[in-house]
Amino acid sequence: MKLLVVEDNIQLLEDMREFLTEGGFRVEMSSSLKEAKDKVFLYQYDLLIVDIGLPDGSGLELIKEVKQKKYDCGILILTAKDAVEDKVAGLNLGADDYMTKPFHKAELNARIKSILRRNKFNGSDILELFDFKINVPASEVFVNDEKIILTKKEYDLLLYFVHNPNRVITKESIAEYLWGDHADQADNFDFIYNHIKNLRKKITSAGGKNYIHAMYGMGYKFSLEEN
Amino acid sequence: MKKERRIRLLIKLTFVFIIFAFIAFYSSAVFLTNEADEFINISLEERFGKTERKIYHHILRGDSLEKVSHFGVIKPLADLPDTNNYPVFSDTTIYDEDLDLERVYKKKTTIIEAGGKYYEITILRSIDDFMRLREDIFGSLIPAFILLAVSFVVFSYLLSGYYFRPFNKILELMKTYKVGQGAEVKSVNTSTLEFNKMQDLFHEMIYRIENDYKRLKEYTEHMAHEIQTPLAIIRNKTENLISDNSVMDKHSETVKIIYEETNHLSKLGTTLNLLTKIENNEFNNAVNVFTKPVIEKHISAVSEIVQLKSLSIETELNEKHFLFIDPILLDIIIKNLLNNALNYAANNEPVKIKTGKDEMIFSNSGEVLPLPEEKIFERFQRNGNSRNSLGLGLALVKKICDLNNLRISYQYLNSIHFFIVKDS
Repeated sequence: MKLLVVEDNIQLLEDMREFLTEGGFRVEMSSSLKEAKDKVFLYQYDLLIVDIGLPDGSGLELIKEVKQKKYDCGILILTAKDAVEDKVAGLNLGADDYMTKPFHKAELNARIKSILRRNKFNGSDILELFDFKINVPASEVFVNDEKIILTKKEYDLLLYFVHNPNRVITKESIAEYLWGDHADQADNFDFIYNHIKNLRKKITSAGGKNYIHAMYGMGYKFSLEEN
Repeated sequence: MKKERRIRLLIKLTFVFIIFAFIAFYSSAVFLTNEADEFINISLEERFGKTERKIYHHILRGDSLEKVSHFGVIKPLADLPDTNNYPVFSDTTIYDEDLDLERVYKKKTTIIEAGGKYYEITILRSIDDFMRLREDIFGSLIPAFILLAVSFVVFSYLLSGYYFRPFNKILELMKTYKVGQGAEVKSVNTSTLEFNKMQDLFHEMIYRIENDYKRLKEYTEHMAHEIQTPLAIIRNKTENLISDNSVMDKHSETVKIIYEETNHLSKLGTTLNLLTKIENNEFNNAVNVFTKPVIEKHISAVSEIVQLKSLSIETELNEKHFLFIDPILLDIIIKNLLNNALNYAANNEPVKIKTGKDEMIFSNSGEVLPLPEEKIFERFQRNGNSRNSLGLGLALVKKICDLNNLRISYQYLNSIHFFIVKDS
């Protein structure tokens, strides 16, 4: 999978490249609108990650061009958190999803994967990891081929873990992913623990192992082994 | 401080003017009367002198005293009396039968010497005309003064409204001026120099204030915006550390604190940014929004948290209640009031949301505030040291209400906190 990240802050760009490369993507970078337009014209990408505020113009222009020329690629926009109008404009132009800066990398990962899945598999995809099989369009989860019934939040949580295996995911990131704007309400993170406890219970009672490991009181890691 | 009596300027001026006019009229009356007295004396002296000379000549000519008796009473004297006692002047009134009135006379008694003999003569002269002249001075000055004073009071009363209209308009502009509305303030046309001066000064002042305000706001905006990217980088790098076991085994506590504080700072920046955007009036798509569906949407978003916290929400929503506001701003108001109520609600006591015909009330029971009530809407006034509270939620709500003609008030009654939003 090949991604193009368009972002004018070099540090952030480098950081995202490092993270996404680790996740198994091929990552190209561009720090200006012009360079990005050239690259989109020359190469084929599966997904564009576009910052709206670029030094030589608005990222919205790039989206417009991509859609006009009917390039086959997903688009994820990055905006400042309060720029509601950018968000709306981007989605109207045909972007698949948006994220507001600053974001958690795990969430970026989850969103990238879900856009790619939607665009590439056209609704018939099955995610497989460890002992899990997840039929995403039907929201069905199987552990060792045994179906388990999850609540909406537990399902979202599991999907978040499956998209980010073998990585520490912080509680803040989980809270924001699950509750969005109301994440502030999830104070002291007991709620997350509650969901995780229930999820673990359902997985182990279906014959699965404990894949969700608490890490240093800061977050959780979804992996076969604890370290 | 002693409270002074406040008097309108024009009334004050009128009052002072009347006092001056009174002094002027009074002194000219006194002056004119003195002049008149002098004139009377001089002309009487002249008349008396003439009569004395006529009598003298008649006596010299040897005319009998009866013949000159119409001039006055003439008595021949045997000896020369003490001339130091003469002449004697006196006023007297004599009844005039023809005219049926008392007439005022001046009487002069003096001694003349004619043909070696001495005579005491007493002559009378009517001074009615003179007295009337003297009275006329007062008689005309007093009504003139009264007329002037009355008309002045009436005019100043009637005209104060007219002449002070520009002044009152300028005051009205000053009163309605709000920082941040731009340097464009209507000017009032007036030919009065003082009002023009005041208005010019007001405009200059606004220009300076607006400039300062703009610079300050830009600074805040830039700060809030520019810290976001470095914070995102710090956070990402910290997340890298969190994934590194060799670091976490030794420094998990330090990394945790860095991570938490960075998140806090980042949220702060975002919220301050939002606050500036609201102040800049960037959310200006105000429409009539029914509040019931919005409130229900927010309740369902927090329903899980409410349940986990063993809280409950009771509602009494009027379908017809609406506010004229940008929907994004209404979202922010409701979200923050709801979060606030949930944050501070006592366990097992329901949070209540009620909308009436023209008000929206959020209430929750809880301990009395540890800060003064009037400070509740100020920034960074949070209850205790809650790490999750930025201390900006209620300030945000207040700001939005202020900019959208809504009034938000806080009350604490019977251990219940009330937040009430009304149209103002």
